[in-house]
Amino acid sequence: MKTLMPYFRRYHRDVWGAMVSLVALVFATLWQPRLLQVVMEAIIKNDQNTILQQGLFLLGLAVIGIIGGIINTVYSARIALGVATDLRADVYRHVQSFAYADVEHFSASNLVVRMTNDINQVQQIVMAGFQQITRIPLLFIGALILALVTMPQQWWVILAMMVIILMVSGLAVKRMTVYFGQTQQDIESVNTVARENLMGIRVVKSFVQEGAEINKFSQRSDALTGVTAKIGYWFAILMPAFFLTANLAVGVAVYIVGQNISTHPGYLAAITSFISYLMQILFAVINGGFLMTFASRAIISLGRISEVLETKPSMTYVDGSAEPVGGDIEFDHVSFTYPGDDRPTLKDVSFTLKAGQMLGIVGATGSGKTTLAQLIARLYDPDSGVVKVGGVDVRQLPEKSLRRTVAYVLQRSTLFSGTISGNLRQVQPDASTGHMQWAANIAQASEFIERLPQTYDAPVEERSQNFSGGQQQRLAITRGVMANPKVLILDDATSALDARSEKLVQEALDRDLKATTTIVIAEKISSVLHADQILVLDNGRVSGTGTHQDLVRNNEVYQTIYRTQKAREEGPTNE
Amino acid sequence: MSDLKNAGKYYWHYLKRYWRGFIVSSLLIIFSTWCIVVAPTYLGRAVEELTTYLQQWGQASTHAQASLTPFNHTLVTYILLYVGDASSLFLASLILARVTAYSTGTMRVGLFRKLQRLRIKYFDTHRDGDILARFTSDLDNIFNAMNQALLEIFLAVAQFVGLLIVMFNQSATMAWITMATTPLALIVAGIVMHKAGVAVNQQQDDIGELNGYINEQVTGQKVLITNGLQADSYKGFTGYNDKVRHSALRGQIWSGILNPLMQGMSLLNVAIVIFFGSWYALNGSMSTGAALALVVVFVNYAQQYYQPIMSLTSLYSMIQLAITGARRVDEVRNQPDEVNPADGQVMPPIQAGLQLNDVHFSYDPGKEILHGITINVHRGEMVALVGPTGSGKTTVMNLLNRFYDVDSGEITIDGTSIQRFDLNSLRSNVGIVLQEPQLFTGTIADNIRYGDPAAGMDRVVDAAKQANIHDFIVSLPDGYDTIVSDEQSVFSAGQKQLMSIARTILTNPRLLILDEATSNVDTVTEARIQAAMDNVIQGRTSFVIAHRLKTILNADKIVVLRHGEIIEQGNHETLLAENGFYAELYRNQMVFD
Repeated sequence: MKTLMPYFRRYHRDVWGAMVSLVALVFATLWQPRLLQVVMEAIIKNDQNTILQQGLFLLGLAVIGIIGGIINTVYSARIALGVATDLRADVYRHVQSFAYADVEHFSASNLVVRMTNDINQVQQIVMAGFQQITRIPLLFIGALILALVTMPQQWWVILAMMVIILMVSGLAVKRMTVYFGQTQQDIESVNTVARENLMGIRVVKSFVQEGAEINKFSQRSDALTGVTAKIGYWFAILMPAFFLTANLAVGVAVYIVGQNISTHPGYLAAITSFISYLMQILFAVINGGFLMTFASRAIISLGRISEVLETKPSMTYVDGSAEPVGGDIEFDHVSFTYPGDDRPTLKDVSFTLKAGQMLGIVGATGSGKTTLAQLIARLYDPDSGVVKVGGVDVRQLPEKSLRRTVAYVLQRSTLFSGTISGNLRQVQPDASTGHMQWAANIAQASEFIERLPQTYDAPVEERSQNFSGGQQQRLAITRGVMANPKVLILDDATSALDARSEKLVQEALDRDLKATTTIVIAEKISSVLHADQILVLDNGRVSGTGTHQDLVRNNEVYQTIYRTQKAREEGPTNE
Repeated sequence: MSDLKNAGKYYWHYLKRYWRGFIVSSLLIIFSTWCIVVAPTYLGRAVEELTTYLQQWGQASTHAQASLTPFNHTLVTYILLYVGDASSLFLASLILARVTAYSTGTMRVGLFRKLQRLRIKYFDTHRDGDILARFTSDLDNIFNAMNQALLEIFLAVAQFVGLLIVMFNQSATMAWITMATTPLALIVAGIVMHKAGVAVNQQQDDIGELNGYINEQVTGQKVLITNGLQADSYKGFTGYNDKVRHSALRGQIWSGILNPLMQGMSLLNVAIVIFFGSWYALNGSMSTGAALALVVVFVNYAQQYYQPIMSLTSLYSMIQLAITGARRVDEVRNQPDEVNPADGQVMPPIQAGLQLNDVHFSYDPGKEILHGITINVHRGEMVALVGPTGSGKTTVMNLLNRFYDVDSGEITIDGTSIQRFDLNSLRSNVGIVLQEPQLFTGTIADNIRYGDPAAGMDRVVDAAKQANIHDFIVSLPDGYDTIVSDEQSVFSAGQKQLMSIARTILTNPRLLILDEATSNVDTVTEARIQAAMDNVIQGRTSFVIAHRLKTILNADKIVVLRHGEIIEQGNHETLLAENGFYAELYRNQMVFD
């Protein structure tokens, strides 16, 4: 609620509109039985004029009700949409201020769910809130007061009805909460079996385990069926019980009226309106119950949204010049542990690299290669030690300056849907076609781009699925060199390229980006063969540095890697 | 319309076995409806009797005759009618809840069963998410609709019919007055529902685009951050978000307005009934009591009159979803099953060998993938399939254990076509190791004995040892009882690959199909996988889609595929000597030159 208040304030005119029209609607609903009572009295007195007059009132009241309903819907929708879109925009903007660690903390897919499903839940509940939720207490209190005014002595009938209804629903809710929890679990377990079965259908079939899979699935499905049936039984009790209670109340009320009719003859005309009020009380209670379960889901969603909004970005940048700095890189006793991990990923890493040099990083999976590169791009900050770019601690570099200095190309480097030029111009909005060609030449991408009918304006589909893995990587490298960065990090960014193309890329980098410091992370030793310096990582520690020739001679870890690759080399396929 | 027909057939198939339940609950609902529509007449009568009593009691001449007994009796009947209504409705709901739960359960298991019989082609041509959605959202929609709509529709129809009958019984004029606004209401509902449909479609399209954008951007957040693109990303987002603001407003208004409109119509209807009813009652030749009773009864009817219409309109979208859901699930039901020969032979041990004889194959008619493949394999030989992406290597593998069947030509084992073997017997004898290891939730031991759940621990351990994974497994705190699950990726790709190899070793297949992984595991793990694969291949007839030179060098026969044709065949030395495509590939990929 606290999260939503500022947004409601922004739409306060619509809020007023919705409330006023709602009150009109409720008034029309509640006043109708009142007029009915007057009409009934008129019938008893045979008073035609009153009937005519009240009849017109009744029609007018109904029209007010209809118009109130329409206006209320329009205003409610405006509030719901206004709040939801503004909230979504704020969450999105806030997420864009996150450090990468914050995104990881929530996980990208989870953030997406919060910005889509959860916001949608909030939108629905706000809509329902102004259409229904405020109406229910109004109707309930109004009907209660009017019922008491109509027949004051019968307060205890109303009370008894409400107590019984609340007791029945309390009992049911208690049981059903348990069953609902169980249903969720059962649904998940059913879905897990189905999903794994689909993904592994070739395994299932080739091991001839269809029967076993069906048994496994049936077992879980039957559990789910059992629970749903139980929930169904409780619902089956609920509704008839509510209506029976209400109708018994009506019966009792009418009976009492009958027994006292000689002393209160006026009640004769009031019976129908009293019944109407009783029914409205009943409906208010039932609808209130339904909306409460609905609202509880929205409240959870709202909590998840607030959690995002309240998370402060874990990394801040200093203000200052946007100019890039030099290309020297220095790691000074750097250690790093991922949040939530108990073992450090990097341990006391130190090395220096001069501007324009090429550094190769090799090591087994999990040895910390990517982590090291991410510290240069300041996706994370080290726990201890200092990472310097251009002689400056990266924590002291303004964001713009750092981004213009360092270009980072990932192995799975996302291209965004749109066009090739749209992706390339992201980093340099005013780049000419000539410049894009220059960059594409370096990445060995111009050859295939120029064969496309629309060349640089060719579309990039979602997940860039209209390009092969090798083409995607070449496009990502093109994007990386677009801004002629001082430092270029290729994080296994040529893994899908064949050996020849990879070599051509490296030669072009050598030739055209002489001043650029290049850091190449690779599984294949062939990718780093010609580096000025190779860093061998082993379990987060630097096991050795030097050229290929040095390391082949005196580094054991390097020798092992080299041996396995030398022995098998590459398979003669171009996948 | 055909949607409706298919959906009808689908429901008929699953619901017909519950016909007894439906008949009993229909009778109960009819009875309960009768109670509900008749009850107000007793209330009316009670008022009438009370009026009479009051009049008699008020006049000295009749004062002595005045009695409340008829009133009391009427009231008791009134209450009994509601007790009857509640109890019959309770029983009907109980039956229908049971039918709903159990029939959707049967549908769910039915769908799963059917999936187990489907051809691989179905899975290859449909996305997993789409098939899974039939379990989750489609069956869910079906369940929700049955859960709520089944009873509601019965009730609404019964109440509506019952109401009409009783109303005309009581007073035809008043019945017509009560029904007067119906055409207006129906027209309004029709227009609103149509508008809502159009607006909601537009809204869903725009929301889809917005969600797509958010998904793409946030998933690529690393790229956004490293390129400093966050502000641009927000700018792009604003465009989509504002579009949703406008179209969703229309959607929300049109879909939200139906309910208040119908409630308003109901108010109007009651007003009309009170107005004209009382005027009619006074100008007729009725006693005051009867006039009062008439108004009381019809006000009650007018309040009920719109309920069936309202509940049907509010169920409309739900029913729509259930029809679509049934269509989509039924679609699966109508897919062809795998073909298992009627009197399939049990596959005997391989004596001489296996032969692919002029095999032609296409996934889609007219687009042939394999153009006459002929390969001869002797027992115990290892064949390496080599060739560029799209050359048809994987397709050849798909034919060997009949994931797909050849278009022409045949695959024979010792001269017998594999299509004549019992499908299960064939597959039990053909083991596969896939590129992407797929494990199932459960313990490591269960995963290794997946192909033979009855296998004892000794066989599991033995298989794991051959697959070079035993030492790793026993180093885990829970050993073989460690839970494997897809979500908690405790195991690396390499470890999963080794477990899947152990799984294949345990079933001791006579023919082996291996798809070497290209995924980037580090070189040390790669060496262990290689060793494990060598262990499985040992002494078996095997086909390997090879990516590694060592595998190829060890092969008894190398088959080079390109564009669905065998262009070269031989061993490493002879192929190099030929100096053809293979030699070219080999040289191009050489790294340490």
